Amino acid sequence: MDGKTSLKYTIKSPMNILIIEDESRIAKRLERMTRDFFSSTLHSLTCIDTLPEALEFIKNHPLDVVLLDLNLNGANGFDILGTAVSKSFHTIIVSAHKEQAISAFEHGVLDFVPKPFNQNRLEQAFNRVVLKEKTQTRNIKFLAIKKRGGIQLMEIEDLLFIKGAGTYTELFLSNGKKELHDKSLEKLEQLLPDTFERIHKSYVVKMTEVKEIIVKSGSKYMAELKNGELLPIGRTKYKDIKAKWL
Amino acid sequence: MNFKYGFRLIFILIVLLGTSCHQKSLSRRGDTVYKIGNQKEWAELGYETNSWEEEIDLEGGEIFWSRTQFNLLETPKEHQSFGIDLVNTFGEFEVYWDGILIGKNGNPGQEARLGRSGEMWETFRIPQTLSNKGRHVLALKRSLYYYPDHIRFNAFVNDYDYLLEFPLVYTGFMYIFAGAFLLAALYFFFLFLGNKKEKPILIFSISCFLFFALILTEFIRTYISIHYSQHEIRMEIISYLTFFIAILVPLYFSLQFPFPKRKLILGIYIAILIYVFYRNHHHYDQTSYDMALCMWFVSLGIISFGVYKKLKGASIVLLTLVICAIINYNTYFDTSLFAGFGVIVLGMFYILAIKAKEQRLAYEKTLVQSTRLRLELLKKNIQPHFLMNSLTSLIDWVEESPSKGVSFIEALAKEFDLINQIEGKTLIPIHQEVELCRTHLEIMKFRKEIDYLWEEEGILENEHIPPATLHTLLENGITHCAPLSDNSIRFKLIFETNSQFKSYTFLTIAKVRPTTKKTTDGTGLKYIKARLEESYGNLWSFSSEATKDGWKNIIKIYN
Repeated sequence: MDGKTSLKYTIKSPMNILIIEDESRIAKRLERMTRDFFSSTLHSLTCIDTLPEALEFIKNHPLDVVLLDLNLNGANGFDILGTAVSKSFHTIIVSAHKEQAISAFEHGVLDFVPKPFNQNRLEQAFNRVVLKEKTQTRNIKFLAIKKRGGIQLMEIEDLLFIKGAGTYTELFLSNGKKELHDKSLEKLEQLLPDTFERIHKSYVVKMTEVKEIIVKSGSKYMAELKNGELLPIGRTKYKDIKAKWL
Repeated sequence: MNFKYGFRLIFILIVLLGTSCHQKSLSRRGDTVYKIGNQKEWAELGYETNSWEEEIDLEGGEIFWSRTQFNLLETPKEHQSFGIDLVNTFGEFEVYWDGILIGKNGNPGQEARLGRSGEMWETFRIPQTLSNKGRHVLALKRSLYYYPDHIRFNAFVNDYDYLLEFPLVYTGFMYIFAGAFLLAALYFFFLFLGNKKEKPILIFSISCFLFFALILTEFIRTYISIHYSQHEIRMEIISYLTFFIAILVPLYFSLQFPFPKRKLILGIYIAILIYVFYRNHHHYDQTSYDMALCMWFVSLGIISFGVYKKLKGASIVLLTLVICAIINYNTYFDTSLFAGFGVIVLGMFYILAIKAKEQRLAYEKTLVQSTRLRLELLKKNIQPHFLMNSLTSLIDWVEESPSKGVSFIEALAKEFDLINQIEGKTLIPIHQEVELCRTHLEIMKFRKEIDYLWEEEGILENEHIPPATLHTLLENGITHCAPLSDNSIRFKLIFETNSQFKSYTFLTIAKVRPTTKKTTDGTGLKYIKARLEESYGNLWSFSSEATKDGWKNIIKIYN
């Protein structure tokens, strides 16, 4: 497969993957397919079959991708979903309950793989991770933010722009507040709807909030938001943005 | 509720019926004095009665006279005549009004010779010339051959036509009333034949019939001449009817509004009633009235308890008792008794109507419930968690080992088949349920790769159980328990029976997973409870709890 040969070049860092699944046969299947896909780029792969253990593991280990079954031993997977999507890693749901897909995407999962699945469908999901493809559905409604005492769901509608700050990001909201998110700018960009555009290596902005683009001396470009805020536009990005939005 | 309004309307009609038939009085009755003997001048208007007495003792058969003063308050209009009603006379007599013979009832003093004649109630016309406003004298030449104790009598002066017509009109109305009760009696009797468990319906039917008979007997005198010597037969019938009604009504209320120590309290009540019945047995009207009063008080107690317990319909029935008391307070004897009974019977009717509605709703609910349970059972195998996880595992098995895959498919097919077989049933043979469980374990072995073991003890071949109850417990065990260190989970079904109950003990021997916040086992247990209720009413109990070895469920079905 073409996709597979080019992978080695796309995956820059070794992957840490967690599978949360209580059906042992299915867990083994996921494990085998994951190993097949990532092969040597896989740094660690863990299978856990209970929620408390999974939450404990997530807390203490760096992860890149989590494969999550939404119905574990009779427990509601949405309890763990909030925690999962607030983390830096991408979450891929593997579930028998197709009807939960819309809700899962709204919470900000990268993909939803319905059971029964085959190798192709799972690889499609993994490709989104490694090729930094955007999600197809793009109907994320919330971003889960870690707050003292738990997870809070913030509505995407309230989001003006995001600033990358190393491995995490700062979310600037319409009410003037600022929140931190564990996901990198790249990962959030994958999840966010089309109205959000990467205008700079450190900025993703909701284009409907941009009032005008100001050209400054030294061919510096700035985007002025409706609230008066000025954000830099990357020199390389300017052409694309101009073509797409002006 | 239209129901309630209709009910109130009937009340108002009854009260109107009971109270609208009065006409204002035209006379005042003065004292009555008696004297044994027989002299013509005793009939005269101006005769002095100084030596006469208010009480006399009779041997029976001898002639005596009574003189009663009447003060007419009006002079009759042209074409109008006054009449006099003599009631409860118990003997034979000649009637003199102001010294003039205006009629006779039998042959006073000659009963032994001429035999029985005369009636209990007679109406006589007063000549118009003798009905002017003012004082008049009613003189009776009497004999009481059969009932020497019954010297006293009732006499009313009123419009002659009214005296003749009113009893007929009144009887007409009461018979319409009686007809309604006869129909109710027949209708509810047939209803009872259709469902012999419904004792209140039978009691209601009998009460209605007795009430019908009571009205019939009471008013039969209006159109059938009854000789005064047969008067007691009628009164005896009335008092027995009243006696039985007075037993049935509280019995009925006690079934509709149950209370503690029912049998004891009703027993005491019946004892009191028997005492009242025989204490003054020959004062028929008074006895009937006293029994009705006892019935009223006991019913009031029972219904008040019902109101206190907030039982449906109790407050409306309490209202009927209050109305009954109001009628009693405002009307004379007969009306009070019949209108009162009538209102109470309507109250009973009302409860039956309410109960019928409740039963219908309950029946509809069970229908919906059965359908829901049936769907829930069918859903077990197509709900995505079971189906999609099974299919995913199946694909994996087929890819790895086609022969194992085939075994898996066979196990799935068997479970589907079993579910299809039991789908429409409320009880299935225990062996079928066990087979369902074993097949399910077969499937789960392929999916979870855990060593599931099944054991059973004391299972009797011809026992029955609601479908998928043990299956649901098994599913819960699989979901909420983790295997022991040897990768096994053991399930054990123990059946025990004794004189009081049968019990199924279902054990899961495994590690219980620490409970996470929200579990879905609630729906599973609800299913089991609903199934048990569907088949056993409330003769069952179910417990489910963690033990040190795993999980223990006990289903008990009481005999």
